[in-house]
Amino acid sequence: MTVGIATGGRPSVREDGPRPVRRRKRKFDPLPWLLVSPLMIFIIALALVPAGFTIGASFFRVQELNPPAVFNGIQNFVKLFSDGAIVSSIGNTGLYVLIGVALSTLLGIVFAVVLQQRFRGRSALVAILILPWALPGVVEGIVWVNIWDGNTGLLNSVLTSLHLIGHYQVFLGQNQFVTILLIEIVQVWQITPLSALLILAALQNIPGDLYEAASLDGASPWQTFRRVTMPLIRPGITIAMVQAVIATLNVFDQPYVLNGAAATGSSVTMQTYFVSFQSLDFGEGYALSLLITVATLVVSFVVLKLVYRPVEF
Amino acid sequence: MISTKKRARAITLVVGAAAVALIASGCSSAGSGASSDTKGVTINVVLAVDPPPKSELAEFTKQTGITVKWTNIDWDSLQTKIAAAATAKTYFADATDVDWSRVGQLGKLGWFYPMQNYLNTKSLVSSMPQINSFTVGNKVVGIPFDASFTTTTVNKTMFAKAGITTMPTTMTDYTSDLHKVKDAGVAQYPLNIPFAASEGLSTYWYQTTAAFGGTVLDGKGKPQFSKPNSAGYKAAEWMIDGLKSGLVPPGNINVTDSQGMQTLMAKGQTASTLSDYSGNVGSLYDVPASSSVVNQVIYIPTPGVSGPAHNLGNPDGIGIPVNAKYPKAAAKFITWFTSEESQLNFAGANGPDKVLPSYALPSRLSAVDALTTKGKLLGGDTLADLLKNSARPVFPQGAPIWYPDFSRAVSTNLHAAAAGDMSVADAIKAITAATDKLASGS
Repeated sequence: MTVGIATGGRPSVREDGPRPVRRRKRKFDPLPWLLVSPLMIFIIALALVPAGFTIGASFFRVQELNPPAVFNGIQNFVKLFSDGAIVSSIGNTGLYVLIGVALSTLLGIVFAVVLQQRFRGRSALVAILILPWALPGVVEGIVWVNIWDGNTGLLNSVLTSLHLIGHYQVFLGQNQFVTILLIEIVQVWQITPLSALLILAALQNIPGDLYEAASLDGASPWQTFRRVTMPLIRPGITIAMVQAVIATLNVFDQPYVLNGAAATGSSVTMQTYFVSFQSLDFGEGYALSLLITVATLVVSFVVLKLVYRPVEF
Repeated sequence: MISTKKRARAITLVVGAAAVALIASGCSSAGSGASSDTKGVTINVVLAVDPPPKSELAEFTKQTGITVKWTNIDWDSLQTKIAAAATAKTYFADATDVDWSRVGQLGKLGWFYPMQNYLNTKSLVSSMPQINSFTVGNKVVGIPFDASFTTTTVNKTMFAKAGITTMPTTMTDYTSDLHKVKDAGVAQYPLNIPFAASEGLSTYWYQTTAAFGGTVLDGKGKPQFSKPNSAGYKAAEWMIDGLKSGLVPPGNINVTDSQGMQTLMAKGQTASTLSDYSGNVGSLYDVPASSSVVNQVIYIPTPGVSGPAHNLGNPDGIGIPVNAKYPKAAAKFITWFTSEESQLNFAGANGPDKVLPSYALPSRLSAVDALTTKGKLLGGDTLADLLKNSARPVFPQGAPIWYPDFSRAVSTNLHAAAAGDMSVADAIKAITAATDKLASGS
């Protein structure tokens, strides 16, 4: 006779020898449901219900200045794609995503690898690294205004002092790609700490004996990084990339503070704000929000399919 | 002993009740039923400005029995919250910001109580000229608590170094003087125009249009700036020419109004701003902590075609949202907040401990006069004269309901012209097309 733990968590006594398995009718246990219910309520009330409402309302004309709300099919979506400012902002947002996800992931990997090493002041460095992530986007925008500024900015001052430029340059607002790149650098500065920490967590899960084995096999540091580290941190990289996709697709503060409403840097979320809270056309705003949500899901799914590979140690 | 089953049921009941309470509290509208109580109540005042000193608010509480909870939110966020709360018919504040540019929308939307329900607004017209900026049809949706208007500032020391001692009164003289300042090497870029695509650029263009003797829209919202000989067209050309001819710093294509005032005018980088804000001399240029041009900047009547032009008002107002809990108490607060005595205190007439930080200028003429008499208002004579005789609403019939879209069309297209992405002609064409579309309601 042996003593074990039965499914229900209670000690049970089992007779030696084969015995026909009887399926016990499991009693409904409300405890797991109770434990997850607060979270479920929050998700349902604050995410699913508003999402459902947004989907429904995006097919209605909901204009505060032109009540009442009436069903208008896909007219809100048609209007969106006939608005030059919105179409231009979709292109801009695509660039924000491409630049932001690529840069933040690359830098996240570099920082994570550096932070993986043991050195004096590592904890302080982690604390400093996390600082930009903790700052509100508007505050960061204001800080970087003083760096990029074409009249009195820090970058101009440094470049002039180093004799790299003869006179002050205007960085923002003249060339669309440069404007978007510089604005996105500010967002990358904000989101990279989280990417680095996510990748660092994945790095710290890799057993040391894998590196020992690679070393014994004569692998160079680069080969070890490419063949051992990179494949094993793919889950961490995936999460980092997905959070970067979400952040960059919803970029608002940085372009708004650094470049105003100018078409050179306007993002889709900025247009959603203008349409919803300035024009008070909530129907079109709902439609635009829905597009951002769908785009977020699709791009995140693509990242997941391309980057994620299950890892078992 | 309580059985497991009973305990589970009890937990279920507690969690269920909590969930219902949570959902109910989240979904309920707090705006149901306003109270006319004015004693022993606490009202929420939400504005994009710092609160008055605690002692001042305590004095108000002592007088009325109303406690004030003050929240300072940045202007953009505040407008979003006002719109979101009003749309959801939810309580947000008892008194909050009414922006002059949204008066057209607010008049139609009915988000704010008509102030004539609570105050004798007709009697305020003569003492508060800028109340017109908050009037749409027969509704007064807010009361101006300051008298901000656009006015021209000049660094007289820099002008004097270029040999200019008589201030210009026409745009021709003004432009010529700016070139003199540049040619004399006093300032590399003497003129401050904020070309960032935001409200400050739109406002600057409206004021420059007034300087060229016109308005941007007629009473029906039709554009008045399409033809090359119109004031609005000339104003746009003058502004872009200023940038191209080196009067305006090249980096200004991304400089906002406040940024230009703080980093260029206040630091002596530029010598003049055609469309500056009343109150900036006292609150910015003559404050040693933020300025290197103390006692150098003066207000001048804005130059015009053949003499001084009109100045345009952009006052800050306060009103009562229709979902306020205590509208009567809020009205009492507004009466106190906009009274002559409070405005004198806020403007520093009775000592620094009663000052409202960054308060522009009293909205009551009597308070402006009293400050000027006491010598407590820098440039007071000029400001009082401009306020009485020159300041006009940007839109005398009230801002159109589509004003935010119009302003955005103005700022984005003028910015694009400044950045070299389009010509002035194309920018004006694009603004005209946008305005026609908005005015037609399509």
